[in-house]
Amino acid sequence: MWARISLRLLRQELKRGELTVMALAIVLSVTAVLSLSVFSDRLQQGLMNRSSEFLAADRVLSSRREIPQQWLDKAQSMQLSVAWKVMFNSMAYAKQQLQLVDIKAVSKGYPLRGQLKIAQQPFAEGQATTKLPETGHAWVDSRLLQSLQLTIGDRIELGRSSFIISQVLSYEPDVGFSVFTDSPNVLIRRSDLAATGLIQPGSRVRYNLLLSGSEQNLADYYQWLKPKLNGDTYRWRSVEDGDSPLARSLRRAEQFMLLASLLGVILAATAVAVAAQRYCQRNYDVVAILKTLGAGTSTIRKIFIFHLLMLTLLSIAIGWLLGWAIQAAVIHYVAQQLGETLPNAGWQPYALAATTGFVSAVMFTLYPLLRLLTIPPLRVLRRNLSSSLTARWLQWLFCGGTIYFLLVIYSQQWWLSTALFAGGGVAVAILLLISRGFIRLSRQAGMQAGSAWRLAMAGLQRRASSNSVQMLSFATAIMLLLLVIALRNELLNDWQRQLPADAPNYFAVNVAADDVQNMQQRFAEQDVETTDFYPVVPGRLTHINDIVLVDEASKEGPEKQPQQEVREGVGRELSLTWRETLPPNNEVVDGAWWQPNANPQVSVETRIAERLKIALGDQLTFDIGGEVFSVPVTSIRDADWNSLQPNFYMIFNPQTLADFSTSYITSFYLPAARKNELYSLLKPYPEVSLIDLDAIVAQLREVVAQVSLAIIYVLVLVIIAGALVLVAQVQASMEERQKELVILRTLGAPGTLLRRSVSYEFLIMGAISGLIASIAMDLSLALLQTQVFGMDAIWHWRFWLIGPLAGAIVVALLGRLSCQQLLRKNTAELIRHWV
Amino acid sequence: MLIKTTQLEKRVETSEGPLQILHPIDLQINAGDSVAVVGASGSGKSTLLSLLAGLDLASAGRVEIDGEDLQQLDEEQRAKVRADKIGFIFQSFLLVPSLTALENVMLPAELAGNSEARQQAKQMLDSVGLGERAHHYPNQLSGGEQQRVAIARAFIGKPKILFADEPTGNLDAKTGEKIEQLLFQLNQQQGTTLIVVTHDNKLAQRCSRKLTMAAGRLTEEQ
Repeated sequence: MWARISLRLLRQELKRGELTVMALAIVLSVTAVLSLSVFSDRLQQGLMNRSSEFLAADRVLSSRREIPQQWLDKAQSMQLSVAWKVMFNSMAYAKQQLQLVDIKAVSKGYPLRGQLKIAQQPFAEGQATTKLPETGHAWVDSRLLQSLQLTIGDRIELGRSSFIISQVLSYEPDVGFSVFTDSPNVLIRRSDLAATGLIQPGSRVRYNLLLSGSEQNLADYYQWLKPKLNGDTYRWRSVEDGDSPLARSLRRAEQFMLLASLLGVILAATAVAVAAQRYCQRNYDVVAILKTLGAGTSTIRKIFIFHLLMLTLLSIAIGWLLGWAIQAAVIHYVAQQLGETLPNAGWQPYALAATTGFVSAVMFTLYPLLRLLTIPPLRVLRRNLSSSLTARWLQWLFCGGTIYFLLVIYSQQWWLSTALFAGGGVAVAILLLISRGFIRLSRQAGMQAGSAWRLAMAGLQRRASSNSVQMLSFATAIMLLLLVIALRNELLNDWQRQLPADAPNYFAVNVAADDVQNMQQRFAEQDVETTDFYPVVPGRLTHINDIVLVDEASKEGPEKQPQQEVREGVGRELSLTWRETLPPNNEVVDGAWWQPNANPQVSVETRIAERLKIALGDQLTFDIGGEVFSVPVTSIRDADWNSLQPNFYMIFNPQTLADFSTSYITSFYLPAARKNELYSLLKPYPEVSLIDLDAIVAQLREVVAQVSLAIIYVLVLVIIAGALVLVAQVQASMEERQKELVILRTLGAPGTLLRRSVSYEFLIMGAISGLIASIAMDLSLALLQTQVFGMDAIWHWRFWLIGPLAGAIVVALLGRLSCQQLLRKNTAELIRHWV
Repeated sequence: MLIKTTQLEKRVETSEGPLQILHPIDLQINAGDSVAVVGASGSGKSTLLSLLAGLDLASAGRVEIDGEDLQQLDEEQRAKVRADKIGFIFQSFLLVPSLTALENVMLPAELAGNSEARQQAKQMLDSVGLGERAHHYPNQLSGGEQQRVAIARAFIGKPKILFADEPTGNLDAKTGEKIEQLLFQLNQQQGTTLIVVTHDNKLAQRCSRKLTMAAGRLTEEQ
C-alpha cells in the first residue's frame, strides 16, 4: 500500500515538474562526475600513452648487466608486449674517419609506444614506420651523415661488422633531451650485435627491457619482479618518474582534473542539498495530513524513503546516460581536433558517479527527511508548527561527513581531503558571517534609496537567514568558477611560458670558442635568434668532501684506500659550465649566487644534489682531463627541465674554469618553413653537431593542447553546475516570493516596481556573493598554488572587480528568469496558485 | 458514550510563565450527536479539537474515545484510533497538492488497507457531485470544490466521529451554505458524530448541541 502511495506521489510530482530541481541536481551530479571522470580517465590514459612514447614503452627495466631472458619470457606470459634495447657508445668508422656514436640495438617490437620516423635525406621531415633496419643495415642520425660526410647507401663499420646505411633516423620517440652525452645515434638489430664483438666484459652497456600492456598486468609483473631486483643494479622506470620532460605537466594536469572533480562534487552536493530542503519543506503539510488521516510513522517513513529512492535511482540512470553521451561527444571532438583516439575508460567512473549521486542524494536529504518525518499532525490546525527536530548540527554532520567522504574517495589522499575540508569549513563559517553582515548593511543603505531598491533590501533582510545560506552557495559557485578560470589561466600560462611559439627547436653543440662570435653574428644576420652560448667542459666528479664516488656497474673510480668510504657517482662525465650570472629559468633555493671576482666555487642543481647527497658547503673534487681541483658548493639551484634551454647540473664561477679549453653550446629557433636553410647556416662550422628538437616540441605542444581542451570542458561543466545551483536556490525561495507578491500586488504595487525590486534583490545578492567569492577565491588560489601546484602565489586584483560584476549580472539574470513566470501572473492567478 | 473528557486541561510554558489555554473541562458526547463549538479567536476552540482528536496531548486530565484513553496511547496508537474512527475537515481544505481529487479521497482508505479504495473514492466523489473532476488537482479546483473533495475524503472511511474546523471559513456565503448542507446530509446518512468548530452562527444552529468557549472555559447552551 505504502509503495503504491509513494509511487503515485512520485509520478504526480514528476509529471507536474515539482521534483525537477531535485532530480536535475542528482542528474547533474552524476552527469558531471561521470563525464568528467570518464573524460579525465581517458585523457589521462591517452596522455600516458602519448608520454609513454618518451620511453618507447609503458615501463622500462634497465641495468648495466644483462637482463635474464626468463624475465622477458615471464613478461610475455603475463600478456605484456616486450622488446630489448641495448645501448652503448662506440666508435664508428667510415671513409677513413672515426666518430663516437650511440649504438642502439633493438629487437622486434621496438618501439612499443610511439613510432620511428625515417627519411632518405638528412634533416628532412620523416615518414613514420613500423619496420626496423634489416639485418646488416643501420639507420643513422642526420648528425652522423653530416659529420662524416656520408650519404644513404654508404657503409659504416661498427666493431667487426660492416653495415649499410639505409635510412636517416629523423625521429626516435625515446631520444630524450640529453644534449651533452648524446653522440649521433645508430640503430641496428639486436641480432646483429654479437657479430660486432663490441660487447666485452666491462663494456659500459645499458640493457633495457621495454614493456607495455594494461596497468594491471604491468603492476602484477612488477610485483613478481620486485623481489628479484637489486636496487643498485636495476632501475624500473615509468613516464611519471619525473625523468620525462612531460612528467611535471602531466602531474599538474592530473591534479587539476582531480581538483575540478572535487569542485564539481561539492557543487552538485550543494544543488542536491538545496533541492532536498525545499522538497521536504513542501511536504510538511502532506506528512501532517497523512498522520492526521491515521498513517503511522513507519508507513510515512516507507512512503518517503521509497519515493526518494526511486527518484534517486531514476536520476542516476538519466545521469549515466547523459554523462556517457557528453563524454562520448567530447571524446569525438578531441579525436577530430587532435586526431587522437582516446582509450576506453573502465567501469570505475560509472561506479563513482552512481556512488556520488546516491550518497549525496541520501545524505543531503537525510536531515530534511528526518525533520519531515517528525512533523506533528497538529500542523493541520496550527499551520506554523514545524518539526520538533532542531538539531542543526546533525545536518552539518551529515553534509560535512558526506563531503569529506566524497573528497576522500575522489582524491584518495587523506591530507588533501582534510586540508580542503578544514579550509572549506572555515571558509563557510566566515562567509556566513560576512554575508549576514552585508545583508544588515545593505538594509541600512536601502533606507535611503528609491522605493524599488528599498523593497529589494527589505526582501533581502526579511529572508536574512535563508539569504545568507543562498549567498553562501552563490559565493561558492562563483568562487569555484573563478577558481577554475584563474587556475586554468595560471596553468596554461605556465605551460605556454615553457613552450612559447618560438621555443628553441635546435641545439647546436660543440661550437668552437673561436666560432662563437662569428656564429652569433651570422645567425643574427639571418634573423635566427639564439639563446646564450654556454661554455662546456667535460669533467668527472670524483669526490664529495673526502668520499670517493664510484660507478655502479664497473665499480670503477679513482684509486681508493682500503676502508675508505665510497658513494655511487653520476656514472658518466658531466658537462660543466661557468657563468657570471644565474641562467634564465634557474632559481637559487639554498645559499647565494656569487659576486663578480669571487673565489672558485660551484652551484649544484637540486636533483643531482639530492641524488648524490650534496649539501651546501660540501667540497666537490673534479677531474678535468687529468687536472684535479676542489671547490665548495655555495648554492643549490632549481633548473626548469621543461624549458628547452641548455641546463647544467654544475655551474662554476668564471674564475674556476676559465683556463680550460672548451666548446660552446646554444639553442635556437628556426621555423619549419626555413628548415632548408639549416645546411647553409651551419656550413662554415663543420664540427658543430645539431640536435633536432622539433618532434619533441611538437609532442609537448600536442599534450598541452589536449590538456587545455580538457580544462575548457571542466570549466563549461562547472559553469553549468554553478548555474543550476543558482536556479535551485531561486526556486527554493519561490513560494515565499509568491506570497509576498500576492500581498504587494493586492496592495496595488505596480508591476514595474515589483519586477525592479526582484532584479535589484538578486543584483545585490549576486554582487555581494561575487565580492565574497573573489576574496575567498584569491585566498584559496594562493594556498593551492603554493601548496599543491608548487607555483608562486599571484594576487588577482581584477577578479575583485570581475567577481562582483559577474556575480551581480549572472545572479540577477538567472533570478529574474526564474521569477519571470511568477512576475507575469496576474493577481487572481497568483492567489489561486498560492492557495 | 463516544467521547468523554475528564478534567481536561492544556497549559503551555511561555517566557512570561505558564499560560492556561484550557481550564479543566468535563464533556460527554454521545454517538450521533452534532456538536458546535463556538467562540472568539484565541478562546481555545482549536486546542480543544486537537485534544479530542488525539492530535495533541493534554497537560492534565483525560480524553476517552469509544472507551480508549488517548492519554495512555503513544503517537502510533493514536494514529490508529484516527484511522479507524475519525474523519477531518479543515478550513484550508488541506488536500495533498500533488495528488488528484480521486487520489486524495482514496488516501485514508488506502492507509486503512482497504482494497476497494479506488471504487469507493469514485462513489464518494460522485456523491459530493465531483465525479467529473476526479482527475483534477487541488489547484485546478475552486475553494468550494476543494472542500467537497475534503468532505468526500473525510467520509470515505465511514468514521464514527467527524471533526470539522471552520469548514466554511474560507468560502463565500453561498458556497458555504452548500458545503454545510452536504456535511449534514452525509452526517445523517452515515450516522456520524459531528464536532464542528465554527464562527458561523447559522452553522452552529443546525447542530444538536452548542458549546461556547471563552478564555479557555467551556459552557453549554441548553
